[in-house]
Amino acid sequence: MDRNPLFQRKTAISFKTEKKTVMRGYDLSELAEEEYSFCDALFILFQNRIPTENEEKMLNYEMGVFIEHSMSPSAVAAIGVATGRPNLPCSIAASITTFGGVHGPGAAHGYMLNKYIERAYQEGKTLDEMAKILVDEYLDNKKPVMGMGQPQHIDSDPRAEPIHIKQEELGVGGVYLEFQRAVEKYFHARREKDGQSYVGVNVVGSGNTALCDIGFAPNAAWCIGSVCRGFSCSAHALFNMKKGRAWGASRQEPMVQMIDLSMIKYIGPEDRRVPKQSERQEYARKQKEEGEYKKWMI
Amino acid sequence: MDDLSNKKGIGNLDDPRMPFDYSKREYGTVPTDTKRAPFQWVSEVAYKNVHRIVARGYDTTELMEEGYGVPEVLFVDFQARMPLIEEAKMLNYVMILALEDGLSMPAMMSRIVAQSKTFLTQACGASILAFGHAYGAYSSFGNRLEDYLKRGKDEGKTLREIAELLVKENLHDESLGVSCLMLEDPAAKRMIARAEKLGIAGEYVTFMKEIVAAAQKISAEPVDIDMLGATGATMMDLGFSPEATWAILACTRAFAAGAHYIEEIERGNYTRLGQTLTPKEFYDGPEECKVPSLDDRARNAKPAQTYTPDEWKKAFEERKKIFGSGFSIIEEIEDPSKKTGIKKVGH
Repeated sequence: MDRNPLFQRKTAISFKTEKKTVMRGYDLSELAEEEYSFCDALFILFQNRIPTENEEKMLNYEMGVFIEHSMSPSAVAAIGVATGRPNLPCSIAASITTFGGVHGPGAAHGYMLNKYIERAYQEGKTLDEMAKILVDEYLDNKKPVMGMGQPQHIDSDPRAEPIHIKQEELGVGGVYLEFQRAVEKYFHARREKDGQSYVGVNVVGSGNTALCDIGFAPNAAWCIGSVCRGFSCSAHALFNMKKGRAWGASRQEPMVQMIDLSMIKYIGPEDRRVPKQSERQEYARKQKEEGEYKKWMI
Repeated sequence: MDDLSNKKGIGNLDDPRMPFDYSKREYGTVPTDTKRAPFQWVSEVAYKNVHRIVARGYDTTELMEEGYGVPEVLFVDFQARMPLIEEAKMLNYVMILALEDGLSMPAMMSRIVAQSKTFLTQACGASILAFGHAYGAYSSFGNRLEDYLKRGKDEGKTLREIAELLVKENLHDESLGVSCLMLEDPAAKRMIARAEKLGIAGEYVTFMKEIVAAAQKISAEPVDIDMLGATGATMMDLGFSPEATWAILACTRAFAAGAHYIEEIERGNYTRLGQTLTPKEFYDGPEECKVPSLDDRARNAKPAQTYTPDEWKKAFEERKKIFGSGFSIIEEIEDPSKKTGIKKVGH
């Protein structure tokens, strides 16, 4: 059996021989035998260190509350893919790839915090002062403040504040928690002053803050969040594969299905005749000149 | 709106073999079906409202506040139950071993996607697609175990007899769980030992041991339990279905794929369209030749049609010689869901 590497790369993450797999210097089998937790292993993977007990607890808590979120874009994607009955990994991959600039934007939040904390350092400002600057700059420019607001949990994400409190309880709050709390304070104050409704912190705002304070870089934190959601999305996909209807359009089901024909609402151009090829050039020229089509361009 | 009433004379659409009159097809969408319950996202796994997220009946925030962790949530989501402490410990053990595998396929896929300047999540998602029926083949492996165990029960065979049959029929399959891969690495055997120590090992680990013994008896080369066999059997003794095992372990690896994405970017450069060359030494296709004039198309073109089974077979065999044509691959795309359809709305 050919066991040569498929890819020539220097890597500081791991090596694998016929005798063992070693990650950041530690034999994986030995880590498991010594009863380190999976969360400990994630610290080693991303940070090259064994965490304190409370750091490990914090990560475990954050991942635990983040895994399942019922119907979010990620679960909907997993289910949508599963209805075609591909191999299960396709559903899981789809769910993880829904995490972008809006759904679970962990990296964006982390980069935002790092950028403004760096500015506080460079400009000699306190974290509290810089949090106000952040909020004002974002809201003045009509940009969403990362980590605030959730379209379903309109009274604040039920996971968010408990994460902040857990971080305090475990004594793993640092510069990020202080800064995030200040951002929230000024964000609420600004919205109130502007006569806008309350928008609470979301799980990215609190969970990612905790991940930052326990040493994860923005992308590492994003990886942890988005991939751990993949676990629950695969459960949703599996439920559909094992107990739901393929395709999601059957008229035999007692409930109207996801893509039943009646679920389609069309708001595009009116029905129109397909031009004959003999008319095509003139038709197309006129259509282009009139420009009405631009209304529909995406 | 255009006059759409006269729709005759469009291409072949008036052909009498059409299943209905194409000129009279209705425009417009289908009205809402009021005879059936409206669409909802039906789930046995979880729900949420404004203030709660609930998985299999348990509020997930309360689960964490009570001191449970990631392994427990996975048991709750996939098995709708709270695991024993030993079971949670075993799952934790398995996940550590599944986390990283060096520069193997998931890491490669993540790194290749990273080179195109993508989001990290694209790379992590891509890494999961590496898990198929050869690499990380937990679905194939587990379903085979289940099928043969059932067969053994139906046919009144002993575990040993059915293991021997399984090995005889699948010795060279990539998802057997027995191979030459772990002859010097004790990790797989240690996992089984841990499962036994924790009291987790059950029917599947026992069956796996019989499979290993049967394979060692007839294999021409030294073989032993590999990571697929140890992990798959342990996960199934933990109560996870083959598909749940596949999902959990593919996801577990995706964390490390994220680290590989990060390292690829930190250490290297992005790759542009057209940048990567393929040396001619790699090429073993047809010799280079002049592109014939389009005027000579009829003289050079070779039609694909065959008209008898004999001609078809001959052409098929010829086409198999063309790598990349797909004719050498024979596979059956099955519905992996086993069973579909919910015959009720609600409880």
